[in-house]
Amino acid sequence: MLNQWFLIGALALVTYLSRVIGLEFMSRWKMNPTLRLYFNYVPIAIIAALLVKQIVLPFHGGLTLSIPVLLSCIGTAVMILLTKRFLPSVIVGVVIGVLFRYFFS
Amino acid sequence: MLHRKKSALKTAGAEALPLAIAIAAYGMSYGVLATQVNFTLLTTVAMSVFVFSGSAQLVAVAMLAGGAGTASVLLTVILLNLRNLLYGAALSEGLAPAKKWTRLLAFGISDEPFVLASARFKKVGPDPFYFAVVAGIFYIAWILAALFGALIGNQLDPQKWGLDLAFPATFAALLVPGLKGKPVIGTALAAVILTLVMEFIKPGNELTIIMIGLLAPLVGLYLHRRGRTHA
Repeated sequence: MLNQWFLIGALALVTYLSRVIGLEFMSRWKMNPTLRLYFNYVPIAIIAALLVKQIVLPFHGGLTLSIPVLLSCIGTAVMILLTKRFLPSVIVGVVIGVLFRYFFS
Repeated sequence: MLHRKKSALKTAGAEALPLAIAIAAYGMSYGVLATQVNFTLLTTVAMSVFVFSGSAQLVAVAMLAGGAGTASVLLTVILLNLRNLLYGAALSEGLAPAKKWTRLLAFGISDEPFVLASARFKKVGPDPFYFAVVAGIFYIAWILAALFGALIGNQLDPQKWGLDLAFPATFAALLVPGLKGKPVIGTALAAVILTLVMEFIKPGNELTIIMIGLLAPLVGLYLHRRGRTHA
């Protein structure tokens, strides 16, 4: 619990600093366009990495593919491409994974 | 003056509401997920009140769920937050008339307000009031959604309802719509391959996410540069 409050405080601080530093100081510099692009690609890389870490899990020193998680992701991806709606897509993805678990494992 | 504020308020409300619904959807996912890593109702909502960042909060809880420690979560979020520097820099002129209040408005800087406000500033020039209304609407939506999500998360049996699956599904829904253009797709693919390699070499390594956040965008930059020289 104390750890959670510490994390919240630290996250709040680093996030606010990134906002206020950009606003107050970075505006005076002409930022390199390459650096701009780099900053924009970072979230894509992190989200993709987190996704893979959830689909492929460590297992007895090796790696194992979680089929329900994979199906859940594919279902969500297809749904959001078709409907462009976040929450229904997530729910459909979860339901697909749950159904697979229920019937096949 | 008052009339101008009224019209800015109306425009801001109309433009922010559709996005507020989308933000509430992320917020609810965050609320459900936070309870899965043993955040209480209070700490789940507190994080939304004090941090107010969808990407930072979702990534933080997903990393905690994967067993990451506080230090690696913080480093990853710092990396993730680098783009706020760009947003702040780009918005500074449009927010300047707010004078000492700009530091308060800074708290509202993130992806969606940036998109709306930069379009607005281009059209009508500096307008901190518009930004304040948009950020305020998003803030309220964000907090209420987290509360609602946490209430749901606390009620449901995670295994039975597949709440563990809500993590990957949420991240798939965050990632997929943005995959447009070779550099972005290349960054994502590089991240996928690098993660597999690094997980294979050392499964469950805490530094994997940070390393990939630093390395994979280089592939995107390379593809961007190559695309330009060929065009």
